[in-house]
Amino acid sequence: MSSGASVPELAAPSPASPQQEAELAKLIVSVLSLEVVPEDIQPEAPLFNQGLGLDSIDALEIALAVSKTYDVKLRSDDERNHRIFASLRSLAAHIEKHRTR
Amino acid sequence: MPPDLVGQGLAWPLIDRPMSDVVCRRAGRAITVGQLLAEAATLAARLPAAAEAHAINLCADRYRMLVGFVAALLRGHVTLLNADASPARLGLLAATHAGCYVLADGTAPNGLPMVAIQLDPEPPVPGPLPPVPAIPLDRIVAVGFTSGSTAEPTAHPKPWGALVAAASAAAERFALRAADGPRATILATVPPQHMYGFETTIMLPLQAAVTIYAGASFFPSDVLDSLAALPPRRLLVTTPLHLRALLAEGRRPAPLAAVISATAPLAAGIAAAVERDWHAPMLEIYGATEAGSMASRRTIQEADWLPYRGVECRAEGVYVPGLGEVRLGDLLKAGPGGRFRLLGRRSDMVKLAGRRASLADLNRRLLEVEGVRDGVFVAPDDIERNPAARLAAYVVAPGRSVQEILAGLRAKLEPLFLPRPVWLVPSLPRDRLGKLSQRALSDLRLTTARNG
Repeated sequence: MSSGASVPELAAPSPASPQQEAELAKLIVSVLSLEVVPEDIQPEAPLFNQGLGLDSIDALEIALAVSKTYDVKLRSDDERNHRIFASLRSLAAHIEKHRTR
Repeated sequence: MPPDLVGQGLAWPLIDRPMSDVVCRRAGRAITVGQLLAEAATLAARLPAAAEAHAINLCADRYRMLVGFVAALLRGHVTLLNADASPARLGLLAATHAGCYVLADGTAPNGLPMVAIQLDPEPPVPGPLPPVPAIPLDRIVAVGFTSGSTAEPTAHPKPWGALVAAASAAAERFALRAADGPRATILATVPPQHMYGFETTIMLPLQAAVTIYAGASFFPSDVLDSLAALPPRRLLVTTPLHLRALLAEGRRPAPLAAVISATAPLAAGIAAAVERDWHAPMLEIYGATEAGSMASRRTIQEADWLPYRGVECRAEGVYVPGLGEVRLGDLLKAGPGGRFRLLGRRSDMVKLAGRRASLADLNRRLLEVEGVRDGVFVAPDDIERNPAARLAAYVVAPGRSVQEILAGLRAKLEPLFLPRPVWLVPSLPRDRLGKLSQRALSDLRLTTARNG
């Protein structure tokens, strides 16, 4: 690499549409039997711990539902994992980028 | 190690295997016992100088956890088995254990002294290794915690002798001794701070001929891809929750020598599916944080549990080598051939995802929520079979919403125990003594299910 070149930052995937986010919110509320209506999930709010209060059982359930619905396999080995699961918005964007159905 | 040696003032080596054995596979590299010892000795020199101290080992990376545990052992420090990095939990541990410091591979919060475990990109070539010390069998080397529904953990001190006896009994039971053939590689989906994960992925590699895998192993895709990259004999150490997700994923894993499950009873259907679809023996371990692993069975063939060497079923619990008689939350009944059967829970304890809570305690906390006049938690009928089961709650709280009640509970309970769903009811069917009978509760359940 030449001395003047800079390493391009890993771009976050472009956001999913509001409809796609709403569809994912509905899926999450239904597979986890959450006591909220899908519209109440703030797209930018954290899904785990302080935000929606999800835990590791939920992470597995979400991975299962996302795999079945969108054929997208969630993994924990890449560095971006924390970003993917950070919020409804980031998860929806990741799914839209990788979905095959 | 023969179990009867425990309690006679004897000592046993920290590591009981050749230095050239592969102890861990991590990031595509094989790490030997000698390299582990060298890295642990380097780390030990950086640990706090106090003779009596407690290491809170938060490492998510299994190999770093192992290096940290061995380093603490070399310094004579006690390891606290705790994965909860919240400031509240760390503060509580520091207040109840002398000289706490944190061992972490990420960032650790909370003002406690912290020693970061950073490993060299290339493990050091072992020069002259430090001698492997023998550790007195009665020395407390670790503390396990039963963390129920609340922030208040109960400590269970672990003498070295009890851990070594359990490791050698497991090695014997699952053919993991040096003479038992090709080395087994263990991929575990359980954190090394959980007693089951600690026994199988921290103690076993020190005392048995196994290699542990230190890499991603949480999501089904992680587990399946990682298994494919490991050499045989592969051993999957997991839980009913993960098995359910892995089976639903539908991909067949690389050939497995055995699958081992613990933390909750495994449903017969899951066990049968593993044996049929994966062509692997599906084994279960029976254990508890206060006693460690005590017995095993092959689920599709055996209803009763075969105790580990030295473990005996007693009237009020079990006799465990190195610990003595331990009272359990489960009721056991001795059966033929030294085996025993689980009869159920002794009290009102419920278990979700390997964590325990008392229903009475949960109810008490529910009643402390502002605006709640009456309320009760109920465990679903399938709680022992459905790994993703959740508790429900019936709540009398006029003028309050479900969201308000949950917000109140969230401040008092771990998220795992938050009720799903919450049913708002006008009153609870208590009898004249104020008691809720099982019958009244199931009637209530039927009515709400119909109306809801």
